[in-house]
Amino acid sequence: MLKFWQNPEFVRHFRSELRRTRAVSVLAVVVVLCILVGLGCWAQRDNVIAKARASAQASGQPTAAELEFMEQRNPIEFWRLYYRTLMMGQVGILSFWVLFACAQSVSQERERKTWDFQRTTRLSPSELLTGKLLGEPVLAYFIVLCCIPISIFAGLRGETGFLHIIYAYTLILSSALFLGLVGIWLSSMFESRSRGVGVLAALGLYALVSIAATFSETMFPGVAAISPFSGLDSLLSFGRGPMPPTLFSHKTPWVVMSLLLYITFGAWFVLMIVRNLKKDPDQLRMLSRWQVVGCVAFLNFLAYGLFDPERTTDITMTDFATLMVGLNTLILALMGLATLTPHERLKVWWRRNHSKQAGIFAEDGLPWPWLAISALIAYCLMIWGLSAWKSALGYNPKAFQSGAIQLLAILIFITRDVLFIQWCTLTRMRAPTLKGILFLGLYYVATVVITIVLSIGSDQTGHHFANLLTPAGIFEHFDGFSFAASVFVGMALQLAVIMFLLMVIKRRLARPAMTAEAAAG
Amino acid sequence: MIELSHLRKEYDDLIAVEDLNLAIPTGEIYGLIGPNGAGKTTTIRMTCGLLSPTQGTVHVAGVDVLHEPEQAQQHIGYLSDFFSVYETLKVWEYLDYFAHAYKMAEEKIAARVTEVIAQVGLEVKRDALIRGLSRGMKQRLGIGRAIIHRPKLLLLDEPASGLDPKARFDLRNLLRSLCDQGTTIVVSSHILTELEGFCTSIGIMEKGALVRSGRIEDVTAAANPARTLRVRWIGDSSSTVQSLLQQDPLISGLIVQSTEGEFQFAGTEDQLSKVLNNLVTVGVKITSFAETRQTVEDLYMKLSGHQVM
Repeated sequence: MLKFWQNPEFVRHFRSELRRTRAVSVLAVVVVLCILVGLGCWAQRDNVIAKARASAQASGQPTAAELEFMEQRNPIEFWRLYYRTLMMGQVGILSFWVLFACAQSVSQERERKTWDFQRTTRLSPSELLTGKLLGEPVLAYFIVLCCIPISIFAGLRGETGFLHIIYAYTLILSSALFLGLVGIWLSSMFESRSRGVGVLAALGLYALVSIAATFSETMFPGVAAISPFSGLDSLLSFGRGPMPPTLFSHKTPWVVMSLLLYITFGAWFVLMIVRNLKKDPDQLRMLSRWQVVGCVAFLNFLAYGLFDPERTTDITMTDFATLMVGLNTLILALMGLATLTPHERLKVWWRRNHSKQAGIFAEDGLPWPWLAISALIAYCLMIWGLSAWKSALGYNPKAFQSGAIQLLAILIFITRDVLFIQWCTLTRMRAPTLKGILFLGLYYVATVVITIVLSIGSDQTGHHFANLLTPAGIFEHFDGFSFAASVFVGMALQLAVIMFLLMVIKRRLARPAMTAEAAAG
Repeated sequence: MIELSHLRKEYDDLIAVEDLNLAIPTGEIYGLIGPNGAGKTTTIRMTCGLLSPTQGTVHVAGVDVLHEPEQAQQHIGYLSDFFSVYETLKVWEYLDYFAHAYKMAEEKIAARVTEVIAQVGLEVKRDALIRGLSRGMKQRLGIGRAIIHRPKLLLLDEPASGLDPKARFDLRNLLRSLCDQGTTIVVSSHILTELEGFCTSIGIMEKGALVRSGRIEDVTAAANPARTLRVRWIGDSSSTVQSLLQQDPLISGLIVQSTEGEFQFAGTEDQLSKVLNNLVTVGVKITSFAETRQTVEDLYMKLSGHQVM
């Protein structure tokens, strides 16, 4: 790996974005803004003191001694407020800018038709990734660099301590790098014509990451640490922030939890990007089969680790198992998308499979066998997780039984959906994955609407209908292995649909490829 | 230099390139000819590692492009038909970027950048921002980028697209000089006159298959064993010419008009000189007796049976 300041891609962005005149202008603007922010903070503190004085005169509260103390501490409080505002401003600017710059990094190169030239250089995917991660938002990094001396000065005058400032900047930088990785990952998945979709996805993702901060009061408080604001807020609250999250019931500082999440999730994103960065869009496959299984295990393991039973009072083992099944619905759906096989590779697999050279577990085969393995791993971890938390949740052996049925149902429905999207990729439609997801969305919306209509006549009919076509039934009215009969009928029906989908996929794959001559003629 | 073996590429249900076998020796200028959709670009993209083939292998300078792409890239320079350059960089910065990206030795980069700038004739624009360059200049800069790391193989996909005649002439000269320095060049085009008198070898692609490939004279000879000759005269000798040439068993495809005629001759140089001597002896006043050189376009038309784009 080249040193990052010698990385050609970083140097290119640096030269392009930070020519001397521009750098000086940016520096001047940043200094002016910092001064204005400082004046604003000064005015705010002044206002607080004035209000306290008025209140003391009118009602005697605060007392003269308290007022004197407040006035004595006012300079420190001013510097702390200034420091906090500067740090929050920097994390906001940097995380947003980095995500958006990186979310366009690859798709923009494709649009400009310069991407192929980068792909034909000797830069490895990890070198290209480093260059883009640090180079694309180089102006944002420069802005933060300009703010650092002022922030350090304000922090030290506010008696925060040098270590505190280092923690804060470590958090800001790591969150920016993490979001940058997510941005590059998004950008590498979209072709140039879908650049807008990539940017929209980045916007949605930024909103999600920001909203994640609200998880601090749920039974998975650690999830909030994925938001750069959670860790920084706790640091800048000087002991008045939210309660720290837990990892396997051990209290963990917000900063540590954030770093843990950024490093672990970041590693998965790096893996996905490095595997795919130099590939053509139609050759992309996010993870290998075994990596998918590993990712499912990691996400489940993390979820059990982040669970904090002390944040909730009335959750039973069965409820928790159902919650984990719900989470695995999302995980398996995402993993299903990550294991879709490109049309060309699937055809090659089909031929090899036909001549007994490749089995159903082959890397280029259909995704369903690996979804089954992933679900099995998820269930094994569920057994472990429920056992680990049994003292906090109250032991109930039926939770293992209902969890097994629920996961099986989820596996069946997700397999159906993934096979449908895989079939879409074998047709000639444009953006087949996106369209497949939209068709499935339409299917679920239509089912919900029909269920509501049927429920007007009879609630029971509506439920049965929903159970046949969606996995909704597994989340209500169950006890051990006993679920509503329509749930099992629904699973059998979906198995038939899966068989049908496998048949049409195989029929598609069996079609001989046409030569250009035949296509023309 | 290049060895493509049983190369096949499928896009969805369409075979873009089928069972392509091709070996190009070092120092050739190889013209890949064919209409749009023939599979030229796909072949070039597979050769430089941008596309992975459905089947088959690609070796460049003995390196497997599919399995050792970064190793292979040091031998390959690539230029596509329509491309863009980084407009906010200066000319020297652009070349410097790619020199570093190709991992050239640091101490050689500055000199090489200067050398390439001179080679593509952009000395006066060295410190200019790329956004201010003309289309032709940007194309030359693109060539400069492709050759900055001294590749043994240069792959050019429709390199003259959008260039004016002067820029095309300059491009040809530049490529010839690169070939003289030992670079193997593969250039694809559907504008056949672009390749005329410039390629040493050609390959004709049609609907994903390589119809014919080899040195131009070999391909020409194989496609057309008889040479085409054109004779011109003055005076009313058409019937004399017709009767004399018709008698010769080595002559075929005779077309005689009032003052000129064309025929195919399948004999030796000596036999050809006898034909000329006979015509002069019977009193035909010959003004011109010359072999008609077959153009790449003629050859392509003959071999493919298609209209040239």
